[in-house]
Amino acid sequence: MNLQYTGEEKIPVGLDTVWTFVTDPEKVGRCFPEVVDVTVQDATHFEAVVKVGVGPVRGKFKVKVELLPAPSKRRLDMKMSGGGFGSTVDLTAGADLADAGDGTTLLTWSGQAEARGPIAAVGGRVLDAQAQKLIAQAFGNVRQQLTA
Amino acid sequence: MSTQAKPLHSVGVPMKRKEDPRFIQGKGNYVDDLSFPGMLYLSLVRSTYPHAEIKNIDISEAMKVPGVKAVITGKDLEAAGLGWLPTFHGFDKQMVLAIGKVLFQYQEVAAVFAETRAAAVDGAEAVQVDYAPLPVVADPFTSKTDAVLLRPDREAKTNHIFHWEVGDKEGTARAMASSPKRIKQRIWFQRCHPAPLEPCGCVAYFDTMGRLQFHVTSQAPHVYRTALSLVTGIPEDKIHVMSPDLGGGFGNKVPVYPGYVCAIVGALKIGRPVKWIETRTENLTSTGFARDYHMDVEIGATEDGKVTALHVATTADHGAFDAAADPSKYPAGIFGIVTGSYTFPVAHAEVDAYFTNKAPGGIAYRCSFRVTEASFAIERGMDILADELGMDAVELRKKNFIRKDQFPYPSALGFTYDSGDYHKTLDVALEKIGYTALLKEQAAKRARGELMGIGFSTFTEVVGAGPSKHFDILGIKMFDSAEIRIHPTGSGIVRTGAKSQGQGHETTWAQVVAEELGLDPQNIMVEEGDTDTAPYGLGTYASRSTPVAGAAIVMAARRIREKARKIAAHLLEVGEADVEWTDYKFQVKGVPSKTVTMKEVAFAAYTNMAQNEPGLEATYYYDPPNMTYPNGAYVAVVDVDRDTGETKVRRFVAVDDCGVIINPMVVEGQIHGGLTEGFAMAFIQEIQYDAEGNNLNTNFTDYLVPTSLETPHWETANTVTPSPHHPMGAKGVGESPNVGSPAAFVNAVIDALSPLGVRHLDMPLTRDKVWRAIRDAETRT
Repeated sequence: MNLQYTGEEKIPVGLDTVWTFVTDPEKVGRCFPEVVDVTVQDATHFEAVVKVGVGPVRGKFKVKVELLPAPSKRRLDMKMSGGGFGSTVDLTAGADLADAGDGTTLLTWSGQAEARGPIAAVGGRVLDAQAQKLIAQAFGNVRQQLTA
Repeated sequence: MSTQAKPLHSVGVPMKRKEDPRFIQGKGNYVDDLSFPGMLYLSLVRSTYPHAEIKNIDISEAMKVPGVKAVITGKDLEAAGLGWLPTFHGFDKQMVLAIGKVLFQYQEVAAVFAETRAAAVDGAEAVQVDYAPLPVVADPFTSKTDAVLLRPDREAKTNHIFHWEVGDKEGTARAMASSPKRIKQRIWFQRCHPAPLEPCGCVAYFDTMGRLQFHVTSQAPHVYRTALSLVTGIPEDKIHVMSPDLGGGFGNKVPVYPGYVCAIVGALKIGRPVKWIETRTENLTSTGFARDYHMDVEIGATEDGKVTALHVATTADHGAFDAAADPSKYPAGIFGIVTGSYTFPVAHAEVDAYFTNKAPGGIAYRCSFRVTEASFAIERGMDILADELGMDAVELRKKNFIRKDQFPYPSALGFTYDSGDYHKTLDVALEKIGYTALLKEQAAKRARGELMGIGFSTFTEVVGAGPSKHFDILGIKMFDSAEIRIHPTGSGIVRTGAKSQGQGHETTWAQVVAEELGLDPQNIMVEEGDTDTAPYGLGTYASRSTPVAGAAIVMAARRIREKARKIAAHLLEVGEADVEWTDYKFQVKGVPSKTVTMKEVAFAAYTNMAQNEPGLEATYYYDPPNMTYPNGAYVAVVDVDRDTGETKVRRFVAVDDCGVIINPMVVEGQIHGGLTEGFAMAFIQEIQYDAEGNNLNTNFTDYLVPTSLETPHWETANTVTPSPHHPMGAKGVGESPNVGSPAAFVNAVIDALSPLGVRHLDMPLTRDKVWRAIRDAETRT
């Protein structure tokens, strides 16, 4: 099943600080909701283990993440693919960073996910809302980490 | 000699089922109840992708899981020459474990063997498979374009599996063109799944003699033995297949599945017993589904409603492999029954089947080889025609029924219907439901804007495959067999090539033997499912047990009677020609006081047989001269809530004519079960795939089985028109309610919605689908 998400997050710190944060695999990885473990391979690759629970489908997902920072330092793309308990999720996400004045940054993000397996089967009912919540939580975590 | 106090009627008696005490006490003996020393468990890694290239399979992490003994992949099997498995239809093959690519979601990719079931599942979870996704073909109409070739392994570079047709193409086209009234409707019988309570499974091991002992959930144990011998090269005498108690089959347990082959390979490779039991999700997503036929139905008729021609063109979705277990000469099963109970002078039916990225199968769910699809098409079609003509659905049916005096009736599509009295059967149903009063009530409700519907299905089935001239599976003719042994004290054992999955053979076969031999059915034991002891037979599916194995039992019993007559003559001290079988015992012709019972003869067969061969047993292999044609008239009455789309089945009357009835209680039980499944298909069940090839109905929260809460109350009755060619006049009944009922439910709902201008809706008629149809119709007006 194909899922699409968009949203924005206003972060009360400067653009450069946000950029440094979101392009750091360790830091980004720790912002995943329900993250259990992050293993950084190199500057743009890491693996994360996250707890997933959608309806009756519950377990741990192992997710491979590749960060694709644009040379302009204004856009970050991200490719994720992961799976567990017979399910797979492939996700591509992108965020545009813009100076929102007063030392704040506006993150405008969009994502597209493809879910397969039992997790897709329950999708019609709960997956969509659940995924939306998780993504919002991830960006919320970014804001929180940068604000703290 | 002794006399008997009363006749020993056994056939026609509602005897309680002998198997039920053990089932209702939880004492059944199922495959998963078996345990052997050193037994390992198998868990399968399944594809999450519907169509993808396999880049790599990394088993290293799985091998580190405590308890995991071995992991095998498609490459390992291919190296051993076991990469592919022939399907029962015989013209295709199926990957045991994926080789190079996967073709449907939940396809078998690797097999993990471990000390415990949990370790096997953990091991399977740890196998890392790298997939490169390929474009997905999720429906047969996309498949038809061949834009994506799904099966490059085949010689024919197309997704088209076969074109099959029967009947007079030109004649039908001509008759259709000159018919003053015509209807045309695409009718989809959705993909559904039989979902037996017990999923599939097996235990395999090689005994100290090197013989394969294979306990398996199989509806056709002998066919399994032959197929396993052909696939593995193990000599057939070194294979012992045992199918113990089965918790339902419905055709789901006919095919040989990859898990079975993996279990056998594991047992051979590791040298220990291996058990494999499917999970519910595995059963729903990878084993034999049912239907998925898109049928374009066209009927021609005269102005006054006499049918003139029938044309049905079907697009069939067979999934990733052509694993529909059809007889070799019938790639679309016996879909030719699509002319139903009506006198079509000319007809033409064609089926084109396509591969898609979905689970393979198609032949299952309590249906004699595509008969459910065919019956649904014609029974829906007749209602649409009635609507077009502005004619009562009953009147139209009666006008076109094959009359009682027309049997044996040669149908336009090549069948010879054996017997029936369709007018009488429908009249019984009309009387029971009170049709006239219902029509009045409906008119009054319609005047008030309420939605009430009355739906009919007057179907004819074709079951009991089948005559050796036409029917075989993998070349093996579709006869069946029985072996009866009568013990010295007058009890006995009967074994057949059939295999009960809940049908009650342990009771009904005992009744048949008892009836033929004048013995006590309580002392006739029935044994099935063990290839070492049972005579060779093709198994139980397609309502073939009573028409074929049942006939074999009758014939074997009559052989015993002939032998017994010789001994009776000796005991009665007369010539054999002077002995007759009357009132369940042997009697000297014209001397009612000189009799001898079968029990006495049995004892003599071992103690005082004179010059006769000792013992009292016989075997019979029965090759049926024709199929049997059970039929019925079903009526559903529904109320549809205009605001919510909720349908309430208020009444349902099922009148079945299955010929002579062996056990009325067992028949009634079969009818209740099949009607409940028909209800499920009509209103609830569908295996859905999204456009990306995800199976969306993978468990019992997404694929519902009706409970007593939603199941309507069933009212049943019978008419009896014996089959003229079956030795007992029986026809078989197991599948009739599943075949006949979906159209009655749907016709009733469409009848309810017809004042709104709704002419057809595809199943399942969920409340939201019905609600949308009502809303759309109201928006239009």
